[in-house]
Amino acid sequence: MIRCKPLLGTFIEIRIEDQSPPLKALDEAFLAIEQVQYLMGFHNPDSELSHINLRSHLEPIRIHTWTVEVLTIAKEVYLQSQGIFNCGIGHHLAEAGLLPRHFNLKDCSFGGIEDLQFIEPTLVKSSLPLCLDLGGIAKGYAVDKAVEVLIANGIQAGSVNAGGDMRVFGNHLQDIQIRNPSKPHELIQIGSMKVGAIATSSLYFANRNTNSKSFMVNPLNQEHIEFSESYSVVASRCVYADALTKVVSISGNTYHPCLEFFSAQAISIPATLSL
Amino acid sequence: MNWKPNPLLIIGLAAITAPIVAHAKIYVSVEQAQKILIPNKSLVKNPIIITDELQDKMRSASSIRHPFQGDRIWRAADGSWFIVDEVVGKHEMITYAVSLNSSGAVTGIEILEYVESYGYEVAEANWRKQFVGKTAADPIKLNQDIQNIGGATLSCKHLTDGVKRVAVLYEIALKNQALSLKAK
Repeated sequence: MIRCKPLLGTFIEIRIEDQSPPLKALDEAFLAIEQVQYLMGFHNPDSELSHINLRSHLEPIRIHTWTVEVLTIAKEVYLQSQGIFNCGIGHHLAEAGLLPRHFNLKDCSFGGIEDLQFIEPTLVKSSLPLCLDLGGIAKGYAVDKAVEVLIANGIQAGSVNAGGDMRVFGNHLQDIQIRNPSKPHELIQIGSMKVGAIATSSLYFANRNTNSKSFMVNPLNQEHIEFSESYSVVASRCVYADALTKVVSISGNTYHPCLEFFSAQAISIPATLSL
Repeated sequence: MNWKPNPLLIIGLAAITAPIVAHAKIYVSVEQAQKILIPNKSLVKNPIIITDELQDKMRSASSIRHPFQGDRIWRAADGSWFIVDEVVGKHEMITYAVSLNSSGAVTGIEILEYVESYGYEVAEANWRKQFVGKTAADPIKLNQDIQNIGGATLSCKHLTDGVKRVAVLYEIALKNQALSLKAK
């Protein structure tokens, strides 16, 4: 059985290979993804993420354990990548019209994920105003949560794919295709996976006007970056795979030391690849 | 983690692997979507004639030009609605179902079919024909061959526009019908 719903700004596909799976497994997996969207969506002004962005420099904010986990991973990847990964770039995307503006951006000098501190395990405060965008890693995390729910429901094999961030599980190899960055409607078989996650970063679907900016911002110099290749990262969990695609595509280094730390591998497909 | 990279790709010989062209997927049938979105309730087909005026209002509210078909609307005894619609974008065609509760709030969205393409194929009627009458129980070859596609995010913005026009449909056509049924 395979089902698809629009969530997290993209299409979430959940596939179960079991012959007669409990139907509630799929419903619960989609609910887990909805919960991530509800907690960590930038677009929703009432999400915990929006509360952090609006008020964490003024007062401590109590957050859900899932938000705790994503922020902790965001800090971990920030440290390991020496700042190449930093989700504190939401204001650049909002200024470029790529994310909604929930408050006046002009009067603020924003900090990054490093300025967010845990006072208690589920209580955070920031020393500077923040405009965090968890977009990619929250999507990866949602994929992981959905897979956990499926496995907890006794599902033997399947996959969850959130607009290209995906994780597979089960006891046989599943083929993995990615889009050819120069012709995105063509697919390249890049390998096969039994258990694991893969995320891809590329700008070919950015669907941009000629004047608009790329949604990829280098946190070190705060500039929007452009690239034509695609970068995929294979890791055990999708949340790491997604975060590490930023490290690889911003640094342009598919052997970045950070990959080894997280037991991940990167693959770059050049835009000039001819098929 | 258990990952086997394609050896051809590693040694730079991807050129000899034929490209697989993306991609069409059929997820669930209308009947399955009804059971998912409005479980344990019987639905009665409730087609609506879409006047030019209604079509115009739906178009201006959603910026979707593709006409809405009024023959894919169902109603449950408790006043909830089940509507099937399509959005045709430059790069994709999506058939989806929306459920509304008796006060018109969206209670769920399910994708039935997703056909990705680059415009010209969708417009081509013959190309489209290969999917007509296919259901999830009758998987087309593409569905079996292409399962796990990675890559950059495809936005679901078009679909959001589609759901907007369904909301307009409710406000203009379905809401009044519900009221007049109550009055009887």
